[in-house]
Amino acid sequence: MSDPEKKTLDLRRREMPKQPPEVRRYNFNEVALGYSAESAVEEAKRCIQCKKPLCIPNCPVEINIPAFIKSIAERDFIGAVRILKDKNCLPAVCGRVCPQEEQCEKTCVFHKKGGQIAIGRLERFLADWEAQQRELEMPEILPSSGRKVAIVGGGPAGLTVAGDLIKLGHKVTVFEALHRMGGVLIYGIPEFRLPKVIVTREVEYLRKLGVELVTDFVVGKTRSIDSILEEFDAVFVGSGAGLPWFMEIPGENLNGVYSANEYLTRLNLMKGFLFPKYHTPVKSHRRVAVVGGGNVAMDCARSALRLGAESRIIYRRSREELPARLEEVENAEEEGVIFDFLTLPLRYIGDENGWVKAIECQKMELGEPDASGRRKPIPIEGSEVIYPLDAVVCAIGNSPNPLIGATTPGLKIGKKGNIEADEKTGATSREKVWAGGDVVTGAATVILAMGAGRFAARSIHEYLSSL
Amino acid sequence: MNLNSVSQILDFAIEKEEEAAQFYRDLAAKMGQQHVGEVFESFAREELEHKAKLIAVRQGNMTLIDSQRITDLKIGDHLVEIVLSPDLEYKQALIVAMKAEKAAFQLYQGLASSTDDANLKGILLTLAKEEARHKLRFEIEYEENFLREN
Ligand SMILES: Cc1cc2nc3c(=O)[nH]c(=O)nc-3n(C[C@H](O)[C@H](O)[C@H](O)COP(=O)(O)OP(=O)(O)OC[C@H]3O[C@@H](n4cnc5c(N)ncnc54)[C@H](O)[C@@H]3O)c2cc1C
Repeated sequence: MSDPEKKTLDLRRREMPKQPPEVRRYNFNEVALGYSAESAVEEAKRCIQCKKPLCIPNCPVEINIPAFIKSIAERDFIGAVRILKDKNCLPAVCGRVCPQEEQCEKTCVFHKKGGQIAIGRLERFLADWEAQQRELEMPEILPSSGRKVAIVGGGPAGLTVAGDLIKLGHKVTVFEALHRMGGVLIYGIPEFRLPKVIVTREVEYLRKLGVELVTDFVVGKTRSIDSILEEFDAVFVGSGAGLPWFMEIPGENLNGVYSANEYLTRLNLMKGFLFPKYHTPVKSHRRVAVVGGGNVAMDCARSALRLGAESRIIYRRSREELPARLEEVENAEEEGVIFDFLTLPLRYIGDENGWVKAIECQKMELGEPDASGRRKPIPIEGSEVIYPLDAVVCAIGNSPNPLIGATTPGLKIGKKGNIEADEKTGATSREKVWAGGDVVTGAATVILAMGAGRFAARSIHEYLSSL
Repeated sequence: MNLNSVSQILDFAIEKEEEAAQFYRDLAAKMGQQHVGEVFESFAREELEHKAKLIAVRQGNMTLIDSQRITDLKIGDHLVEIVLSPDLEYKQALIVAMKAEKAAFQLYQGLASSTDDANLKGILLTLAKEEARHKLRFEIEYEENFLREN
């Protein structure tokens, strides 16, 4: 462990500038503005370079965090970028959306005192610095192996596999159902949290490395996995968890009741917020309720606000249990999103034209602790309330789309529609087929999808090398 | 339906468990997605376990314990009836089960309130509680898998 005695401890996390809430709630520009080089160096200097760093084992891709921080402190930004990119091919994305507070920063020795190093902000600073300074450094690419790999889905899992395998000399083709690569990073997470130029830049980088990117190609419809395997030596399935869940309560078929997927896709992918420049407007609503409490719910509620609506989150549990990143909850609160905790939607009420006009909810209380010590919410009889509104966005979760399972005989599918794959290798029940990311775990995180992609790439490479 | 003795009630309950198992087996056979079929198969096996337990009670090898109050999370109460089609998902399978257990609970509750015989009332209420426990088991599975709101 470190010897904190030697240095005076600096527990002041350097703040990262943000757009003020009263300004940002009216625009879709990025909320956080990033560190300046000076702030980054100051923040990096706070790190005491523990001999046995606890941050590294809590990073799903095991970035050598103290090493890149040390390079920043020494103003060797190029060196720092290399260390970072050795383990993480999408640092500009992860620096913005990774739940660092639950991972690397949580085990920082300063965490207990509230002064954990702002690892995510430093990661983001480096990635942005690199993008501004110069052409991205091109890695070495091994001579062609003559082997071909097909990747289903252009999200973080698929793109990671593509990046790793192309460098090892294999020919890689990514088949993406939508008209743009990037998965949730493009169609889900809004511009104000993750500017799309960042994702596009990463995708272009892969194209430059030689990855073939095919869009508007639905595997399972346009072509089956079996048919693809006649031409390719291996397939990686990273098709995500894009099938939205609904509450299964009365009124869900009314107009104005959206899934989070549809709502965000209209905004992000179809650029609904840039109407009339783009032709797929989202209807402008006056009062929007978002059901759920995760990052997806926060993104929907904050988007609704930016489109001019009064926006409320309806969540069955209390604030402490919100699964969203704390930073995003605080951002939403500052911007004026209304939170109704311990509230359960019972039904949606429609008008005579079939449009939703209200939601009936019931208040909940926490019951006795169960065997695991958790207290489950229980409805309070007679506590029903009705909120008038003109749109509801259901953001309670997603599972994988059944298409690939249904069209790939012998591919083992789990209860929740997820592809079953080995945790360490991504190998599935089908020979020559690997899988990883949300399609295996159900909705999770970008970094876990990337980590799964990395493991699978390693295993695919071993297989291809054995042929 | 003659429910004038404890053993008649147990016979009735055993038959109900068998019917429930058959209901799930039939559904399992109709499912388009194999993994959902397996979910219904597993529900059918659970019903057969309940049946075996009741048979053991009838044979005097086991007693039904009227344990503490069973929590009612009421998760299924406001959900729509699921239309039984071949393209059901796991989530909907759980809703079908929650609603079926609730109906069974209400059946025994109703029967209990229609008798004045304390002995019979006791066994019917215990059976109702068993069903409430089964419902809670499905509610917990539903809540843990589908109500993370994430
Ligand atoms: C609104 C929102 C906010 C989020 N916020 C965060 C956050 O702050 N931090 C975080 O870490 N995670 C967040 N997540 C979760 C994170 O984005 C996902 O865990 C991650 O994107 C999963 O990556 P993936 O590659 O497995 O799948 P995806 O990103 O879903 O990509 C899968 C791709 O496969 C394509 N596809 C699907 N089926 C087919 C097919 N049959 N043929 C061809 N292509 C197909 C899809 O179109 C998609 O492009 C958020 C998710 C959402 C929806």
